[in-house]
Amino acid sequence: RYLLCEVNVEDHSRLLQLDDRAVAAAVRAAVARTHGDYGAALCSIRFSVKYLNAHTGIVFLRFPKRCYRLLWSALPFITCIETRGQKIPCFLNCLHVGGTIRTCQKFLIRYNTQQLHRMLPKCKNEEEKRQVQKAILNCTLTRGNKAESEDESESEEE
Amino acid sequence: MSAAKVKMREKKMRNQPSSVQYSASPRHVESSAKHTHTHTHAHQFRTLQMQCRSDYGHLKFRASALLPRSHPSSAGAFATARASEVRTMLKATTKTTGSCHVFGALPKHMRRRAMSHNTKRLPCRLRDVANRMASSKKKKEESKGKSRKARRQHGNLLLEFNRRQRKNKWLETHIWHAKRFHMVKKWGYCLGDRPTYKCYRSSYRAMSSHCLLQDLSYYCCIELQGEEEKLLASLSQLTSKEAGPTFAAALSLSGQRQGSVDVYRAGQYPMQPLGPVTFLWRPRAQGSTHRQLWIWAHPTIKPDLLPELQTVCQCCEAVLPPAAPAVIPTEGVSALEPEPKPEKTPESKQITGTKRKQTFKDASEPSEKKILGDGTRSPTTPVTWKSSSNGIVISDLTMEIVRYRLIGPQSHSVLVETMEAATDCDPSCLWWPEHCKNESKMNLHQQQADVFHLLKGVYSTGELPSGTVLGLTVDDPRLTLPTKKVKALPCVKQEKRRELMLRGAPAHCCQSSLWESSVRDNVTVNKISNKLLNHMRSELLVPGSRLSPTPLQGRVPILLVHQPGKQVGHEMTSWGAGWDLLLPKGWGMAFWVPLVYRGVRIGGLTMSLKHSQNKGAAHFPHDYPDCPAGARFQEEQEAQLLYEFKRYPPAKRNNYIKHGCLAPFCCPWQQLAEEWELILREGGEEREEDRLTQTSTKADAVMEVATPREDVTVTKPPSRVTVLRNKKSLRLLSGWCRPTTSKGQRARRSCGVLPLDRAAMALFLSAHGMSLVWVRLSLLSKGKPELHAMVCVPTAEDLMLCGGGPQEPPHRDHFKSPFRRQKKGSKKEGKESDPAPASEPNSTAPEGPKSSLALPMGLWPDPLPSVTAHCSRVMLGWVTQGDFSLSSGRGEALGLVSVAGLLNTLFNQPAERRGTLLLRNPASLHYRVAKVNLEV
Repeated sequence: RYLLCEVNVEDHSRLLQLDDRAVAAAVRAAVARTHGDYGAALCSIRFSVKYLNAHTGIVFLRFPKRCYRLLWSALPFITCIETRGQKIPCFLNCLHVGGTIRTCQKFLIRYNTQQLHRMLPKCKNEEEKRQVQKAILNCTLTRGNKAESEDESESEEE
Repeated sequence: MSAAKVKMREKKMRNQPSSVQYSASPRHVESSAKHTHTHTHAHQFRTLQMQCRSDYGHLKFRASALLPRSHPSSAGAFATARASEVRTMLKATTKTTGSCHVFGALPKHMRRRAMSHNTKRLPCRLRDVANRMASSKKKKEESKGKSRKARRQHGNLLLEFNRRQRKNKWLETHIWHAKRFHMVKKWGYCLGDRPTYKCYRSSYRAMSSHCLLQDLSYYCCIELQGEEEKLLASLSQLTSKEAGPTFAAALSLSGQRQGSVDVYRAGQYPMQPLGPVTFLWRPRAQGSTHRQLWIWAHPTIKPDLLPELQTVCQCCEAVLPPAAPAVIPTEGVSALEPEPKPEKTPESKQITGTKRKQTFKDASEPSEKKILGDGTRSPTTPVTWKSSSNGIVISDLTMEIVRYRLIGPQSHSVLVETMEAATDCDPSCLWWPEHCKNESKMNLHQQQADVFHLLKGVYSTGELPSGTVLGLTVDDPRLTLPTKKVKALPCVKQEKRRELMLRGAPAHCCQSSLWESSVRDNVTVNKISNKLLNHMRSELLVPGSRLSPTPLQGRVPILLVHQPGKQVGHEMTSWGAGWDLLLPKGWGMAFWVPLVYRGVRIGGLTMSLKHSQNKGAAHFPHDYPDCPAGARFQEEQEAQLLYEFKRYPPAKRNNYIKHGCLAPFCCPWQQLAEEWELILREGGEEREEDRLTQTSTKADAVMEVATPREDVTVTKPPSRVTVLRNKKSLRLLSGWCRPTTSKGQRARRSCGVLPLDRAAMALFLSAHGMSLVWVRLSLLSKGKPELHAMVCVPTAEDLMLCGGGPQEPPHRDHFKSPFRRQKKGSKKEGKESDPAPASEPNSTAPEGPKSSLALPMGLWPDPLPSVTAHCSRVMLGWVTQGDFSLSSGRGEALGLVSVAGLLNTLFNQPAERRGTLLLRNPASLHYRVAKVNLEV
């Protein structure tokens, strides 16, 4: 199972310090703390951090399907992630549980666009508003984008 | 991970998003220096590296755009980050995974193999992408040249056909055959092998009750002209009276009958045969000793026969065709007879036609002439040779005369229905009107027509005396072509049938204008084309009626030659008799289609093999291993069979070693004959010492023989094996083959054959010890003999055994594991002699394990061990043709056995079971009991 989680931190800039190994270590530690050796063992089987975006704090976690509920239950106990000698206080918010990465990706697309749309009315000044609008427009692969990307792929093939 | 795997993975993950993070570890910088973009950020971090794999460019742009002025709480930065993530995710979800095939996008259960080369099997949404991919992948299409319409236009088609005929000769019926037959390229011709439709049984039925048609134009005709005595004197060197009637047989010499003879190299009679030929003398003209002789030979004999004829007749002077620049003066010949010169003209004309086309590419030039006759021969090749000393002229008439063979009891009805004797007409420049002026010739024609009409009243073609010849002139058979296919049926009349049946056609009726090359050419040149004929038909007042004044050109001289059917044996006499139809070249299709419209079946090469097999006659290249052509054929056949054998996967091949079959693909006749000679010699010696029972003696002899065999073959000069063709000896042997009971005894008494005793045997063997003899084997019970089945000697117990046959104990394959063998080499040698099964004498222990590596599994390596003693029953020979015979309802085989072996076997068998042999297929362990028939 793939869990799509969001890392929530107070100070947004500290998010940029995250890396996937730190997240994995934090999850392992939490699981070991809540479920003991059994949990730690389960966690060593198919667990991995598939994707981490340091800007948005989005994480894809892969758990074995057999015991993902057990491991999931440990996630709320993560309060901080230790990276580069610093402790970043945070918590993980699970947004979606998917069978494949693909479904998670699809959900993430929807979620992100939704978030952007929500941001739009809350904008404080004009510049921000313009930026958000631009971002929303960028979200969809327009025809021009598509053609461009296809060209890219073709050139790669050759 | 191998490099390829890395590459594959990279390709697969190309569109997948990678984590976006900043790492500070210097180790990482080095490892991913290529893909990282170093960026300094003064705000909080010392150095941050951004890793990105695929969407490197746009991430970089984003990072550089974002980070310098990124404020943690800036909504704009957050928004751009979100947006870029959405874009990467979108890319990941919409793009197909790495594989370059479009159907990688499909779930596994919807993928089909056929999609990869037929885009129409893909779902619609993927089709155009796949099409684009396929078109970019596909190599440049080869240029098609002309359109189909252009290619099928008559002139272009003809050019194409002529180009294709340059390598292999085409018969006139080639196009007809190519549409219906599997064609094979054999002997320099394109020949129909077998039809594409099922016809095995129906062809047999046609042969035994109606009529089967074959195109035998590929047979080569060699014409000899000269004084009768000189011709006979020269030709007598090639044949011997001992092997049956020769060229000088009275009936054939008069021209009334076609003869057949086995030809040998000059003066070499029992040795070095060339092969069987048929010959036809032109009837004598009044008061002239000048004769004309046609020798018809199989194309594989021709290269040997022609030089032999030239040396025998001392015809070494080649008469060049007139088209060649240097013309040898031919005054002597032209005074003698004007044949060779005009005979050349059509060919030279047609060849110059090709030349002209090649040199001048002129559009106004009329399109090339259709090739008639031999298309492969160059114009300068001499086809005529004359002798300065005795005036004999040899000319090669290959492809000059079309020969069709009709086989079956109703072939005369087909002929009668197809052809009509020529009608009278007014004089003009054509040959027939000229012919009409001559009163005696017209009388002759009338008589020939009468005889031809008499043919209608015959029950079966087999009733006629074999080899009867009838010359005739007929109308163009295209004029009487029925609108629908009708089966020619006989209408029997009693009138003068008896005369015809007893004597055949009278002598003077055998004359035909076909012998005259000038007439042949005239007929060929003046043939009306199909197009013109159809045009004339279309102008008839009543559609479908016959053209009332027959066109002047529509008279064709033909020769009808009766072919004997089964001549030997008691049952099914004269089965497969028929007529041969000889036509001038160019008229092939004009006669072929009307014949086909009379409900005949058409046979190919395989059917002629079956015909001779059912007839109990030897078929030329297959059953003549002693002729050069036969030897060549055997080599080809071996290569072919080996190729087919190797095409099977090794696990599906027959292991012939385990079946105890030494030579499944070729028959070492020479070795067989030598071994039998040796066995008899040793047996004879031993017999003088003490008279033991034969079987044990033989077995001992074999044991002793096998080891010193190599030395014997080395020291002995390789004397060629021959097939016994001496009629007298054959008759003697045939009498000995029969059991002493019932029918056989009567026959023997009447023949007055010597009883088979030791003295007679010794005498016979001294003459023909090394020869083979050609026998017919009919199975007594079940079984279907196959090619190269082994003919073996039954033991005394086998003869007592009734029903079924004995079994061969399975052999052991010593070559199966060569490596293990090599390891245990010395150990095995010792073991081999003692525990080897009784069926396998130690002589069979393989001598050359190294050579076996080259050969595929299941075949014996080249130095074969003793062939006679390899199995539990002593071997006599091999089958050359074998099949279930539809005429006798049992398996029948034709094969060659060693004379020495056969005689020895017969001698040792009890008189009432004499002539019983065993037959075993190469891929079987079961022996079948067979009766040997030697029919003369």
